[in-house]
Amino acid sequence: MPALMINGEERWSSRDPMTPLVVVLRDEFALTGTKHVCGEGFCGACTVLMNDRPALACLTPIGTADGKSIRTIESISAAEGELSPLQQALLDADAVQCGMCFPGMVITLTSFLQHNSNPSEAEIRAALSGNVCRCTGYQRIVEAVRGLATLASEGADQ
Amino acid sequence: MTTQAPPRKDSDLHVAADLPDALSALAERSSEGIALAGGTWVMRARLRGEPWNRAYVAIAGIPELGRIDITDREIRVGACVTHAELARVLESVPGYLALKQAASGSANPAVREMATIGGNLSAVGFAAADLPPALTVLRAHVDIASAAGVERLTIEDFLRFREHLQPGSLLSRVVIPRSAWSSAHVRLPLRKAGDYPVAIVSIALKRDGDRVADARVSVGSVEVTAKRWHSLEEELVGSSHEPAAISLRAADLLGDFNAREGSEAPGWYRKQVLPVLAARALTALG
Repeated sequence: MPALMINGEERWSSRDPMTPLVVVLRDEFALTGTKHVCGEGFCGACTVLMNDRPALACLTPIGTADGKSIRTIESISAAEGELSPLQQALLDADAVQCGMCFPGMVITLTSFLQHNSNPSEAEIRAALSGNVCRCTGYQRIVEAVRGLATLASEGADQ
Repeated sequence: MTTQAPPRKDSDLHVAADLPDALSALAERSSEGIALAGGTWVMRARLRGEPWNRAYVAIAGIPELGRIDITDREIRVGACVTHAELARVLESVPGYLALKQAASGSANPAVREMATIGGNLSAVGFAAADLPPALTVLRAHVDIASAAGVERLTIEDFLRFREHLQPGSLLSRVVIPRSAWSSAHVRLPLRKAGDYPVAIVSIALKRDGDRVADARVSVGSVEVTAKRWHSLEEELVGSSHEPAAISLRAADLLGDFNAREGSEAPGWYRKQVLPVLAARALTALG
């Protein structure tokens, strides 16, 4: 029975070790922010952070996640009701429509911005190549990230 | 003598602690045993209509398989190094543009953080794999470990025989010689990124002044397995590798390929774009 470190908490699953992590997160741990959509690593809706890098929960058997630090979308907010700067920027930009892809988007962008704090539009779009959105056309998402990066850059200059 | 794998109800997943443990576990599981690295291929077995409930030996946690060692003579990459990690490490290594481009441009960012070099080479039936053509033109070899020791194969021999590896053996490392050859890797996905490419051209050149002294060209995703384009290599040797001229010659050499049909592109299209991709690769080589 693998021990999984989920959002800083050790949890155990009774499921088969080859069960995809996304199934365990949603069905067993009630962490339904991670979405189970394509099931084959294309859409990115199931993206989580694994040891601070984006990983696809639909392609991760829980038996191989033992000992790894896993963060889901539920952990991105700093505290109850307080959004991360990225989440606030997306909200301010009115970037969210149906919301299905956004947990994965936020996870991907959270990791991306940790490694590239002032990205170009092309870099943002490349970073999102594994997060498919059928609603928004991506423009407000990109603008929100660019705005956040500009704000951070201006703050650093002061 | 072959041993019969015991029947199972639930998945059999053995998480190997080290390489001998992995080899032993694979041998015990005979033809039913398969190595599980990043999981990006294995976890989609059901979607391909392949057997699912097999005996898996997880190898991604084995330290020696996650190492990259760079010496004056070669670059040694453990089989469980991810595409993303390989791309990050190669940023500081001169040359090897084909491998940098293949590793940093495959699939999508999250898959690159999970998919491994060993898995990409071992995935039988994955025609659109980026690393095989890039490693082919870089004259890479693979180490196949088993209880009997380590056998080194060329990439081409491995790709030809990978379905027939003995149970209990495992691709453990990829070895790329250090050289002054220049290289490039061009892929054509349906979108700018994130899709399987419909065709891939990798080229490596050894130059003598402004002429090509030697050339290697490998084409991926057109046939089921990456394949050398020997006739184009012959055109390149002795030439000034001017992209437009080589592209024109390449258009007469498409008969070398028996292109596969696919939902994303028909075979004729995969061949038709090859001269353009060859020109783009030569342009990238400079």
